[in-house]
Amino acid sequence: MRFIPKIWYALVAVALLHGAALAASFTASLDRDSITTGESATLSLTFEGGTPRTVPTPGVSGLQINQVGNSQSYSIINGAMSATVTVTFSVTAQRPGEYTIPALTADVGGQQLSTEPLKLTVGKIAAPSAEAVNSGNEVAFLKFSCPKQKMYAGESVVAHLDLYLRDEVQNFGNFAVTGASADGFSLGKCVELPNQRHRAQVGNRVYTIIPYAVPVTAVKTGSFALGPFTASVIIVLPNGWMGEQRQVTLATDSANVESLPLPEDKPAGFSGAIGNFTMTATAGPTTVTVGDPITVRVKISGRGSFDSLALPAQDAWQNFKSYPPTTKIETGDQFGLQGTKTFEQIISPLNTDVHELPPLNFAYFNPDDGHYHTLKSGAVTLTVQPAGSTPMPALAANKPPALENQSPQDILPIKENLGALTQAGPPLVSRPVFLAAQAVPVLAFFAAFVWRKRTDNLANNPRLRRQRAVALLIASGMTDLKKYASANKPDEFFATLFRLLQEQLGERLDCPASAITENVLDGQAMLRAAPPAVRDGLHELFQLCNQARYAPVRGSSELNSVATQFEKVVNRLRELKS
Amino acid sequence: MKTWFSILFVLVCAGKILAADVTADFTSANKLYGEGKFADAAAAYENILKTGVESPSLLFNAGNAEFKAGHLGRAIAVYHRAEQLAPRDAELRANLAFVRNQVQGATLHESRWQNWVSSLTLNEVTLLTTVLFWALFGLLAARQIRPALAPKLRGATQLAVVLLVCSGTVLTLQAANHFSSSIAVVTGEEATARSGPFDEAQATFTAHDGAELRVLGRHDDWVQAVNGGGKIGWLSLKQVEVLPGA
Repeated sequence: MRFIPKIWYALVAVALLHGAALAASFTASLDRDSITTGESATLSLTFEGGTPRTVPTPGVSGLQINQVGNSQSYSIINGAMSATVTVTFSVTAQRPGEYTIPALTADVGGQQLSTEPLKLTVGKIAAPSAEAVNSGNEVAFLKFSCPKQKMYAGESVVAHLDLYLRDEVQNFGNFAVTGASADGFSLGKCVELPNQRHRAQVGNRVYTIIPYAVPVTAVKTGSFALGPFTASVIIVLPNGWMGEQRQVTLATDSANVESLPLPEDKPAGFSGAIGNFTMTATAGPTTVTVGDPITVRVKISGRGSFDSLALPAQDAWQNFKSYPPTTKIETGDQFGLQGTKTFEQIISPLNTDVHELPPLNFAYFNPDDGHYHTLKSGAVTLTVQPAGSTPMPALAANKPPALENQSPQDILPIKENLGALTQAGPPLVSRPVFLAAQAVPVLAFFAAFVWRKRTDNLANNPRLRRQRAVALLIASGMTDLKKYASANKPDEFFATLFRLLQEQLGERLDCPASAITENVLDGQAMLRAAPPAVRDGLHELFQLCNQARYAPVRGSSELNSVATQFEKVVNRLRELKS
Repeated sequence: MKTWFSILFVLVCAGKILAADVTADFTSANKLYGEGKFADAAAAYENILKTGVESPSLLFNAGNAEFKAGHLGRAIAVYHRAEQLAPRDAELRANLAFVRNQVQGATLHESRWQNWVSSLTLNEVTLLTTVLFWALFGLLAARQIRPALAPKLRGATQLAVVLLVCSGTVLTLQAANHFSSSIAVVTGEEATARSGPFDEAQATFTAHDGAELRVLGRHDDWVQAVNGGGKIGWLSLKQVEVLPGA
């Protein structure tokens, strides 16, 4: 298998060498050698066997030559691969005559190659004569008509091109104006007038008339020939069941149109508007502070060239700061010659001396009557107050939420009161002290929770409760013992001591305190298992209590030592497991 | 005790003196505004703000002055600050909306939930949540201390839990918006966003004065931001003012 790539390499190398060995060629050709003015021919430059380093662009005086495309193709014939590059140009002539496209030279694959010169005959296309039209021999012809023979420079009119197709024409398409002699004029786009096709008899034949319109604007003064227009259209004539398609070249007569200069008595503020217009102007708000914007809306409606329509500078507005206006055009026809142009200009009063918006002037020239006209809006009364002193609008004061639903003309005025001052700082949620403070309720809750648990635990454990009660009793009893000892009251001392012994032992043995006597020391297992010191101490205390009944006289020091002994015994007794 | 009263007295007096100074400066700035000296008025308001105090009215007037001086971006930035203190101020919202309408090109638009959430300030939501938090734990503690009250406090406790959850959710959203979602407002006439955080990087889009952009990240003196049209680019901090999330 390793030899297969080698075979492919060899084949490719042979093919390339073979291709390289083929001679490169460079040819130029025209798709036809004669055209009429306004028509286009196609010039093709073909490079075979190589790619041109640069494509020469032919230049011939009187011919308009524009590159329109290029293509590349590869072919293998008998094992020989060749590449073909084709560059196409459209060639148009505005004047009739004999033209020669000279030889062109190009570097193709390192070879300098040249083409043969080409001849192109440009014939003058003429509109058919009236006799030819009336005879019915013309299967299609074009008629041009301009509504005015005299126009003013800058005036726009709509000229008509009527395409006549004889009744046998089954269909048509690709109508295009291929040329127009319109020196001194500016032409707009040619469009068919909708729903206006009709039929008419010309001579002894019936024709279908398809009306087209083209806007024409005079741009220079003088006498000019408008036209002829040349056009091409593809028509379908009856021939078999498919019909026969035929491209027809059409031409019109020209019309002499005189373009007149505008009269010299131009009024002040005339900015070149030509047509017939009306104007409306509004301004608002009318109660403002110094510097506040006022929106002036000017609507100019009518007929004329709206593209060039401009709002003139208003000299009477020197007390206002003006901003460039914005414009919006709403056209009423497809040529843009009828409609409304709306200007929206922001102005702001510069001082409080302004009491009105002076009238707005708009001057235009009406070509129909040949005179200038000046439209004037009414003055608008304004209330201009010093900035900052404007009272709050009633609407804002009474219904604040509705403000956002309106289309305000300006911002609301400043506030006179400073309001509550705060220290600028981070939000509460990011302040450590604030966050730490949030632990307080949590800790309070847990404290209450623990307290509750302990309380409940105590309530459910009578021995524990008794244990605590006895502990309290012993603590207060000890105080009493020391008090009685100090006061040398042996009776009260030993009575208290005995009671305390009963309470403590009763709690330890879980039996009533009243049932405790010295005998329990030997009868209860817990006490029997107690350390001898505890048992002996308890015996001694019981015996002291008993002796006190018979020999009650004791000194304070002895009573104090007994109290201390009792405290020791009680403490050791509490350590015993019950 | 006397020492504490003395300290309190000094603090109150200092506060009153400070407020008196600020009020005088505020009146002077208002006067400049009234005379049509909007740039001077804006500078005067800015000087007051530099002292560290602020109030919705002060920021509102500062925004007005910036707008009148032709600084759309700075006006929007100041209005944003005012909005964080007084989000329900109808006049403030009207002016902010008006100035936003003057901005050319794509700009950021707050979503409905952001509008809803930001109808309370972050501090207001924080305090509300705190009150509910304290109330809930107070009720829980009361139930521990007086178990007999537990049945009577059950409804109040449940209500406090529900309100706390709602308030906590709003607080979380607000805080997330405030701390993690910054906004950059273009303060120059025109700002060119670039594909990288350096001057030689290819331009990706141009934002006009006042355009609001969502900040995605930062690198040195550059912020990466996305505009209202979804285009992403790096802008120098000299061209924008970065604000906490609105």
